[in-house]
Amino acid sequence: MTAERFLALLAAYGADRRRWPDDERATAEAFAANNPDLVRPSLVEADDLDALLQRSPTPQVSRDLRDRVLAAAVSTGGQARRAGQMWIDRLTLAFGAGWAAAACAGVVAGVVLTGHMTANAEADALLYQATLLSVDDMEVLG
Amino acid sequence: MTAAAVLDPIGLTGTIARGRMTTFADPDEELVRRVGRGDPAAIQALVARKLPRMLALAQRMLGDPVEAEDVAQEAMTRAWRQAPRWIPGQARFDTWLHRVGLNLCYDRLRRRREIPSDLLPDRPDEGPAPDRGLIAADVGVAVNAALARLPDRQREAIVLCHYQELTNIEAAALMQVSIEALESLLSRGRRALRLALVDHRPGTEGA
Repeated sequence: MTAERFLALLAAYGADRRRWPDDERATAEAFAANNPDLVRPSLVEADDLDALLQRSPTPQVSRDLRDRVLAAAVSTGGQARRAGQMWIDRLTLAFGAGWAAAACAGVVAGVVLTGHMTANAEADALLYQATLLSVDDMEVLG
Repeated sequence: MTAAAVLDPIGLTGTIARGRMTTFADPDEELVRRVGRGDPAAIQALVARKLPRMLALAQRMLGDPVEAEDVAQEAMTRAWRQAPRWIPGQARFDTWLHRVGLNLCYDRLRRRREIPSDLLPDRPDEGPAPDRGLIAADVGVAVNAALARLPDRQREAIVLCHYQELTNIEAAALMQVSIEALESLLSRGRRALRLALVDHRPGTEGA
């Protein structure tokens, strides 16, 4: 590897070698090890910028967004099923009865779970909650 | 759109065929298969694994939390539609999902350019604040503002390689550019960010 190529790697990918191209990582690491004085200033500069970029806050997924996405999974599964595609048999079984009960009584009376779904009770409960969110208010209130 | 184009919207199959990448393993393959069968636990797991990534991608591409949520939700909805017909081996699911998310982001960026600026809602001023000490205290805000000021393609390259941690091959395929072009975008983007954030370098904060 040439010095020019090493500096180009730093300029593009930064100082974190995990971001360097797979096929050049080993040779770039060897070049850096063999030329410490040459590469140090550029490495420090690239590392400083990497550290600054890491200060960009990572957005957190809100509960509301998560619920909407889960509700979309149920809704999309239903549409695909109507179109004759194989999709979400277990969701339909699991949530169909609970959805109807909620629509009639406005009360969560329980969820019909298939035998192998009981191991995933927490996930099911979340998804069930998501189906409730997708029920039209008018449907529930009459 | 042809079936092949739907399954390989980013041309990754061609990339493989040209020998730049011989094989790849898709860590999401089994999960997507279970989602396609309607496994509730798999659906929840895919949400946990991919929704934060889609939200981060959209937030950094658009700089608007409300629009970012809309994009992330729409991308995941398309994932639900795609899962039952996903054919393993054509492309990584994560890469496909990034293509969907990026397309949605570019739709919104295009729409912004088409709307006269006096009709756009007020947005926070992304320029440097008069109080240098105050902005130094919130480097994250400054970094996001600097990212937002980059040209779209430079921002996309940096978001994909630095924040989303895609490989250069994946990012170049997604952006439909050569590796050399990707590196040029990355270098120019990083140089612009370094200049924009010069006051925030270690040792200069709060100066």
